[in-house]
Amino acid sequence: MAIDEAVFRATIREKGLPTLRLYGWQTPALSIGYFQDFTREVDSGACRRLGIDMIRRPTGGKAVLHDQELTYAVIAGTDLPFFPPDVLGTFRTVSRCVAKGLRELGIRAEMKAEGRSDEDGSLHSSCFSRPSRYELLVGGRKICGAAQMRSQGAFLQHGALLMAFDPAKTCRVVLPHGDGEEQVERLRNAVTSVGEQAGSPIGEETLCRALRSGFEQVLGIRLVEGVLTLEEEELKGELMKKKYGSESWNMEGSKSWMSAF
Amino acid sequence: MKLFPDDLLYSWEHVWVRVDGDLGTIGITDHAQEKLGEILSVDLPEIDSYVEKDEPFGSIESAKAVVELISPVSGVIVSVNEDITDDIGIINSDPHDTGWMIIVEMDDLEELDDLLDTRGYQDFVIREAEVD
Repeated sequence: MAIDEAVFRATIREKGLPTLRLYGWQTPALSIGYFQDFTREVDSGACRRLGIDMIRRPTGGKAVLHDQELTYAVIAGTDLPFFPPDVLGTFRTVSRCVAKGLRELGIRAEMKAEGRSDEDGSLHSSCFSRPSRYELLVGGRKICGAAQMRSQGAFLQHGALLMAFDPAKTCRVVLPHGDGEEQVERLRNAVTSVGEQAGSPIGEETLCRALRSGFEQVLGIRLVEGVLTLEEEELKGELMKKKYGSESWNMEGSKSWMSAF
Repeated sequence: MKLFPDDLLYSWEHVWVRVDGDLGTIGITDHAQEKLGEILSVDLPEIDSYVEKDEPFGSIESAKAVVELISPVSGVIVSVNEDITDDIGIINSDPHDTGWMIIVEMDDLEELDDLLDTRGYQDFVIREAEVD
């Protein structure tokens, strides 16, 4: 998260080229959206017992369990021709890129055309309980969640692409806990994964290559691997120290990090 | 129809300021709330905190995007609109009046020279729409 936001802040200042970042998780983590409330929406005790780290994203949206999952971060200026300038337009374009990548793995994902459908009230804290407009579905089941942050002419979009999905584990860590097996079954029916759709597990590198190809084809660009600039490294360090490494930000959403810049 | 009250100054980040001596009341414009859609959550700073011109002072969430609110002026916050906590919808329904967000005791009135008047902001909004 610190790296994503460091690149985002640098993009605001320098108006550089867009960045696509793809990463997995060494240990499972539960991330919540900027405005979510850990005490009311996450079973922190269950997370600790299961060894699941807890963090707050700078982007919006709901809780995501990063376990057997690939996260993407797209960071770009809104004045560039690659993406429409509005929120929904950006979601739509990024979803096209991801869908193109999944197509290379033989997975046909489609964008949800309308706004949020009726939610499963017992799972309202979970990102995957219901799809939003332009999020990706396979056979009507959500395969990728997304949320954005925007400021001063730039956006950061996070996406969570499920490589495998354990609905029981999600139900254990997201509040409110519902009606046991029925809640697990409802979530299983609402969500799918790359592995399930491909018929066998897909490795992280294979998925990364497919996504990279999807972005390149849809946007008509060539992605070049790079490293953080000196400015981004420094920003990352500040953000780790004052924001993402701090309990006050992650658990409470405290704004004391704002002095980081 | 969009509203562009002529007693306000406007920033390039779609934030308005109503000036009264060295006090500036700040909120987001009607154009901003319309583009954002239904505002679901807002995060505002505390009284006595300091805001800097062109730096974030808070955040708004709508349609799964968190949008930072950028301050048009520098100074100490002397008031925060508590009514928003009770009824967040007033930001959408009445952005230039009851939907105000913070009041700042400005420490450099010359910063207001960088802001747009009503006509300037209208032209900016029109140019943005052409790009969209």
